[in-house]
Parts: sequence; structure tokens; C-alpha cells
Amino acid sequence: MHNPGARDLAGRGVTNPVDYADGNEASAFAQLLGGLIEANVVSHPEKLKDFHSLKARVGILVTDIDEAVTLDFEGGHLVVRNGLEEGRDVTIRADAETVMQLSNVKIGFAGMPNYLDATGREVAGKMLTGKLRIQGLVGNLTTLNRVTRLFSVA
Amino acid sequence: MTVAAFSSEWAQAFKEEINKSPVYKQAGKGWKWTVGLVVEAEPDKKFPEAKGIVMDLFEGEARDVRVGSAADAQACDFVISGSYSRWKQVALKELDATRGMLQGKLKLKGDLPTVVRYTKASQELTECTTRVPVTWPDEA
Repeated sequence: MHNPGARDLAGRGVTNPVDYADGNEASAFAQLLGGLIEANVVSHPEKLKDFHSLKARVGILVTDIDEAVTLDFEGGHLVVRNGLEEGRDVTIRADAETVMQLSNVKIGFAGMPNYLDATGREVAGKMLTGKLRIQGLVGNLTTLNRVTRLFSVA
Repeated sequence: MTVAAFSSEWAQAFKEEINKSPVYKQAGKGWKWTVGLVVEAEPDKKFPEAKGIVMDLFEGEARDVRVGSAADAQACDFVISGSYSRWKQVALKELDATRGMLQGKLKLKGDLPTVVRYTKASQELTECTTRVPVTWPDEA
């Protein structure tokens, strides 16, 4: 799923953009999220700016399967940890389907996530009904937008 | 009429279900890669040898679905592997394939962003498997 070999991200001199704190014990969910972000950053150089400037601890809890990860963005490097660690700036809680849906939110005008198309409206609706809960949103909107752009495959 | 799980008849019925699905036709638009499903052996469940399901999916249509070896399936662009019991759970709607992948019950190989982009299509493929009436070797 993930090739941890060294690589140079679009000539920016970034090697090993993603590490797994739990090594071979990294959960499938951790590997999937780490692999997704790495693939996005490698194949979309426009996401590098976000990757380099993002310094935050983000937690994601998949409520229906009780799987969680902590993503430590360290400005050009990401460490993925199994479970929720203390000191998170933002924590996203949602079921598996919604977490996958978050990656399908399109990025629109001025690099903002588009909550007006069908997928965006569905995600926004889940926020309103509490099926998607984002803790730490106030004060971390820029962080959340950057994370959304790094996740987005749409 | 039921068909034996992971037999050629099952593959044909699965293909027909996919091509009958308007949901898949829409959600699979743009998909143009082969998908291999590896069903790992479980001798104690009367499934003694691994099998591979090779799916040629193109633009919302199943052009071919056939049963081959595990190696045939592993040669596809995207490969999802799991034990016989896991796939049986998927077909019986006891395990959602997306959740199975997030939990590591099913292993995925292939370009992750592409798979994530087609989550809806893969969910519908799972739905299609559940519509094929199956005889399971460990229940026969």
C-alpha cells in the first residue's frame, strides 16, 4: 500500500514525506491515510505549498469502526500515529463513508473547499446533523482547509 | 437459481448484475483499470485453493469478469485481497468493503487516490455481489 522508499518531491528536496510512528505496526487506516497524502503530494506539486506550510496535529476518528489516527504535520513532513494522541489542534469524527467523502470534496475558487456541489453539500449537511464533527474548528480554519486540500482527490 | 461461490457461473452472474446497475454505470464513469479480487484459501472452510477474480471494468461497464488464479488477479491494476471468510462476509453484507479496507480485513494494492475517488463505484460493486444468490462451500 505504501512504499516507504526515499524520494524527492517534485525536486523540492523532500525525502520520506511520510513516516509511521508505529512502524510495521501501523494500522491499515494509518497506512491508507498516509499513503493517500503521500500520493497526493507526489503527484500534485501544487499541494506541496500546503504540505510545507502545515504545522498541526490532526486527529481522525472513524466512529463506526473505532479506528483512529493522529497526523502530525511538521512542515514538509508527516508522521502518522495509530490512535488519538493528546494535544490535537483539530479532531475530525465521522463514520467511514463520510471520511472517504471528505477526500472527494472538490477544491474550488481561491483554493477553498467547495461545499456547494453535490458532494460538498452532503458533507456540509453531515456537519449540520452532527454526523461529521470537527473539534477545534474555531481558530484552525486555515489548518482545516489545508488538510482538506491535502486529502482531496477530486 | 443459486451458483457456486467464486465459480465461472458466479462470475457471469456478477457481471450481469454490474451491467444492470444504473448506479454503477454512473459512478464508474471514467474508470478504466482492471481489478483483481484475491480470495485466499481456507481449507477448513472447504475452500482449499486461492482463486482470483479478474474484472475488466471500463467506463461504468463490466466488459469481462472471470475466475482465474490468484496470480491472475494480482497482475491487475488494482488488487483487493482477503480470506474466503472475509469475502463471504462482504457478499452477505456483514462487512462493508470500505470499512474492511480501513480495518485491514481486506488489503488493497493500487493507486489510493484513484480508489478513493471511486468509493461510490466500489460500494455499488459490493452491492452487486450481494444480489447474486450463492451456494457457499462451507455450507453445502
